[in-house]
Amino acid sequence: MSLEILLAIAYGGAFLTYFSGKISQGLRDGAAVLLSLGTVLIVSSFYNVPAASVLYEGFLGLSLVLRMNSLAWFFAIAIVSFNALCVIYSLAYMKDRNEKDYYYFMLLLINAAMLTIVLSGDLVTFFIAWEIMSWATFLLISYNRNGALQAGIKYIVLSLIGSMCMLIGILSVYTSFNTLNISELSGQLTTASAGYKLFLLIIFSITFGIKNAVMPLHTWLPDAYTESPTPFSAVLSGMLTRMGVYGFLVILFGIVGIKSVLTLGSGFISYTKTMAWLGAITIVIPTFIAMLQNDAKKLLAWHGIGQGGYMILGIAFGTSLGMAGGIFHTLNHAIYIVLLFLSVGAVEYSTSGIRDLNSLGGLFKKMPIAFLGGFLGISGLIGVPLTNGFVSKWLIYKTLILENAPFLAFAALLGTWGTILSVYKFLHNLYLGQIPEKHKNIKKTPLAMQVPIVILSFAIILFGIMPGLPLKVINSINVAFGFSPLDVNLWGVVSEAGTLNMLNIFTALIVFGAIVWGIFRISRPATLTDQYDNYAAGAAIPKDKYHYTVEYYAPFYRMVKPFLKDIFDLLYQKVARANDFLCDNIRKIYTGYVGNYVMYIVFFMAFLIFIQLKWSVF
Amino acid sequence: MSFLQNYAYYTGAFGLILIGLFIMMTKRNYIKIIIGLSILETGVNLFLIAVGYISGGTAPIFSRSGITAEKMVDPVPQALVLTAIVIGVAVLGMALALAIRLHKHFGTLNLLEIREQRW
Amino acid sequence: MNEIMNLNPVLLIAVPIGLAMLVPILGLMSSKIVKWVPVVGFLFNSVVSLAVLPRVLNQPIIVKIAGFAPPFGINLVAGPVGMFLAALIAVSGFLVAVYSLDYIHEGAAEKYHILFLLLLSGATGVVLTGDIFNLFVFFEILCISSYALVAYLGNRSGIEAAVKYLIQGAIGSSLLLIGIGLLYGQFGTLNMADLAQNITSFSEPSVFVPMILMVTGLGIEAAIFPLNAWLPDAHSSAPSSISAVLSGIAIEVGLYAVIRVVFTICHVTGSFFVFLVAIAVVTVLIGEMSAFGQKNIKRMLAYSSIGQIGLILFAFSLATEFGVSGGLFQMLSHTLGKVLLFLSAGYMIYRTGSMEISSFEGVGKKMPWTALFFTIGTLSIIGLPPFAGFSSKFLIIKAALAKGDLLYILLMGIVLLGTVIEGTYFFRVVQVIYFKESNNKTEPEGPPVSGLISMSVFAILVVLIGLFPNAILKILTTAASELLNNLEYIRSVLG
Repeated sequence: MSLEILLAIAYGGAFLTYFSGKISQGLRDGAAVLLSLGTVLIVSSFYNVPAASVLYEGFLGLSLVLRMNSLAWFFAIAIVSFNALCVIYSLAYMKDRNEKDYYYFMLLLINAAMLTIVLSGDLVTFFIAWEIMSWATFLLISYNRNGALQAGIKYIVLSLIGSMCMLIGILSVYTSFNTLNISELSGQLTTASAGYKLFLLIIFSITFGIKNAVMPLHTWLPDAYTESPTPFSAVLSGMLTRMGVYGFLVILFGIVGIKSVLTLGSGFISYTKTMAWLGAITIVIPTFIAMLQNDAKKLLAWHGIGQGGYMILGIAFGTSLGMAGGIFHTLNHAIYIVLLFLSVGAVEYSTSGIRDLNSLGGLFKKMPIAFLGGFLGISGLIGVPLTNGFVSKWLIYKTLILENAPFLAFAALLGTWGTILSVYKFLHNLYLGQIPEKHKNIKKTPLAMQVPIVILSFAIILFGIMPGLPLKVINSINVAFGFSPLDVNLWGVVSEAGTLNMLNIFTALIVFGAIVWGIFRISRPATLTDQYDNYAAGAAIPKDKYHYTVEYYAPFYRMVKPFLKDIFDLLYQKVARANDFLCDNIRKIYTGYVGNYVMYIVFFMAFLIFIQLKWSVF
Repeated sequence: MSFLQNYAYYTGAFGLILIGLFIMMTKRNYIKIIIGLSILETGVNLFLIAVGYISGGTAPIFSRSGITAEKMVDPVPQALVLTAIVIGVAVLGMALALAIRLHKHFGTLNLLEIREQRW
Repeated sequence: MNEIMNLNPVLLIAVPIGLAMLVPILGLMSSKIVKWVPVVGFLFNSVVSLAVLPRVLNQPIIVKIAGFAPPFGINLVAGPVGMFLAALIAVSGFLVAVYSLDYIHEGAAEKYHILFLLLLSGATGVVLTGDIFNLFVFFEILCISSYALVAYLGNRSGIEAAVKYLIQGAIGSSLLLIGIGLLYGQFGTLNMADLAQNITSFSEPSVFVPMILMVTGLGIEAAIFPLNAWLPDAHSSAPSSISAVLSGIAIEVGLYAVIRVVFTICHVTGSFFVFLVAIAVVTVLIGEMSAFGQKNIKRMLAYSSIGQIGLILFAFSLATEFGVSGGLFQMLSHTLGKVLLFLSAGYMIYRTGSMEISSFEGVGKKMPWTALFFTIGTLSIIGLPPFAGFSSKFLIIKAALAKGDLLYILLMGIVLLGTVIEGTYFFRVVQVIYFKESNNKTEPEGPPVSGLISMSVFAILVVLIGLFPNAILKILTTAASELLNNLEYIRSVLG
């Protein structure tokens, strides 16, 4: 199976799905699921099978090439798997929506474009696929109408700025080195001057920083995640945003090379330090902003930004431990954030579109599977031992400790604390507490929603207990980039900063759990009492049901609100308004009076003739 | 003064051109602008004729005896001017036709008041 | 096939003009037949120009009118640039004529077809002629018919726009004529190759002044800032099929003439190009920024044309082979994209009865094909892959960076900022078309078959050229070398 066929299936599948939708709905759903599962199978068959092929010889004098290596495989398998899960999920979620042909078409097109990005062996293919991904994403973000339109514009403006930067970067590389093939470039760029490398890194960092939502370029993300259809929010948060991480990996380690990156700047003012600090800021501030959100998806969106910071923090140092942490965290984050979005989506589906954290609660018994997903998802997000998030965060913390970066480590810890607080709000306000009356008879979670949630929940535990499975692939990525491989076994990592063995932790937790369970067994069993059977110091007991979910963290909220404004978003909005104003006024030069226009003509001519006759400038 | 005498045609032609441009730049009435335009065109035509003119020259007909090429007026600019006049007439006709429609729609020929299309 | 390849390029001009004269006579016989005349004429032109195009890549065809050799008689130069643009004009003219079959159904349709034929034959004449006065004449044919076509609908805005266009256009042609006269007075020739041979330095006032007069005169038609005030009015008031031709062809022909004067006749070098680049960047910015806040779709498209013209001028002013071929490529992709946009906007306006962008809500559902074509045009104009606009923008940026000068990189950055603005307002329109539900429940039907055919061919061309840019790259590089190397041009014309 060659790479071209894989892409042909991916792109052709999108069109096939669209046109089969014109015939019948069932056919389209079947085609979408089968095609996305098919791509999963094909991609998985490339495991440890490096491949390369020329896609297109001589596109404007360049050849577009594809290649499959461990890095590409790692990202590709993640992309197609999450896509398949989201397609399956959409079968149920999108059931009552209009224009589903369009939805599936765009979803599969974006999937194909992302696949092309990670498979591309040269920067032009990369750029073309990147752009297709960008405009297709815009078209799908806008799908929900209303508020989504503004979110879409925000996304596409930032995305266009990013891609214009990337275009300049790519073409400047091309004019300097006359090739855009990634593997050929990696050798040549070592000879370039430091200033040029820095220019390249900065210009590409803008592009990938926008996509990966690094502070201060993150403002498109909360709106886009919130307003998209939920299965697409999952794709967006899971892999699409992380194309930025992929881009960083390719440009930093694949093209410029880690040795050169580390020598750029010295002391505090260096490229890697700046990256790391931006990553740290990206962890802390968004995580605390997330705490203030009352929209479940927006809360997750802010976490999406925050978790992106961990990945940047991991790869910024360019050690094999940090790389493993950053890349592994990308995968882990994708698993649990997709899971959380799917869980929210299930709630949204059952309550016909409510995701306001103030008006939900107590859905635990009605939707056990969604609760399971939500619970394991937040455990992963926090990094509770035995979930996958723990391992990657452990790797990142160890890197920070080894690199003597206590402040960064503190920032990462602070982020985790914020995460604990805010995701508890998330879990509690959705699933725990008392159920509001109107949600007593909600729709059941359909099977098509349950399956992806269960699979992802399983993956969280699996990668949590046996991190060796993905770490083995990540190790080969590390080797390909020229890092020393980590000492990995199925249960964990052995490193100079300590050994991680999930088997020991697993056993310890089992033992500990058994003790706790035993204590609970032998102590007095809990009894359920009525809400009104209570002593309230003589005060009247309210007749309404308690609803703890309203104004969660209100005192804290009042305390920190003034400090946690999204100043960058406000700034960009100011810039946008200034731009509107400028644009509205600059066209006033077209006054509508012909005399002015004639004057422009005469002055233009007279000016040129005059300066030439007077000073002979031309 | 001798400059003006030697270059009388050029001075006159460029004078007309500048007058025409000035009228078109400053006048608000569409008819006046059309008049300016035709003055401009007249200036251009005069200029073209002047390019080929030789003082005291004759028509370039070789069959007549006793006339040398130095004394002949260049015939090409005259041909050009003929074409330019025809084109000028077409533009003028178009402009006047538009003036009628303009007045019908707006009830005025003052271009300062006809500014619906702007920005 | 061989017979077609050996046909005389003069037919490309003669046939449409002849047909234009024939239209009134045919109109006496049947009013139905008249609208097919432009279709037939430009089909002929498309076939001939595409067949001749491969031949001229090796050796330009010099047509001597009435048998006089070049410096003395009027000649046509069917070189790579001329034939490339002639083919572009012919193909777009043919497709727009097909579109007009059903689109133009009220008013004096006969006159529309006459003027349409004249406009495009004038444009073809401008790109093929080798004589500068002849260029002026064809230019006037182009201009006068476009004044009339702008006023074709006879409504308030059309008349007003035509009046303003006429005043500025007439000044432009007078300036051009003065420039021609000054050059003739000094060099005694009207042949462009002969002029180019005689002009040694453009910075002498005696050459510079006529050059500036000509550049200004032609620049008015080419819509270079600040000479472009007529454009938004005229392009937004004409019937959509005419707006398409004006935006897609007329201004590019104007720009071609500017480039011909600057590159071939005067052989400009050095700092004048820096000036042109600066003007181009300002044109891009003013165009895109003015388009940003527009509520009227056709006005928005017209301002976007100004921006695109700025980009093309930017590419040409780099004066390298990459730059010029990128500029020609951008001409091609702008023509295809902008004509497609105007044509699809035309039916959207016709069916919704308003030019306001906000009235297009829900069009995506009611007229899916038209909306799709509009979207394809949008993506191509912004320069996103895999459409034609991407390849041209790619070449232009590459050329700018290949200059290796920080100034050009900065200016390129400003141009790309213009692209971001452009993307923003175009994507807003796409959102209105697809993602806003309309309140009125009337059911506008899609465009008629003729409109669909012509728009779909444009859309297919946009996609195909985007996917296979190499197919035309050879034509472009040959054309670029013709423009850059005027000695080659002189030798091929004068022998």
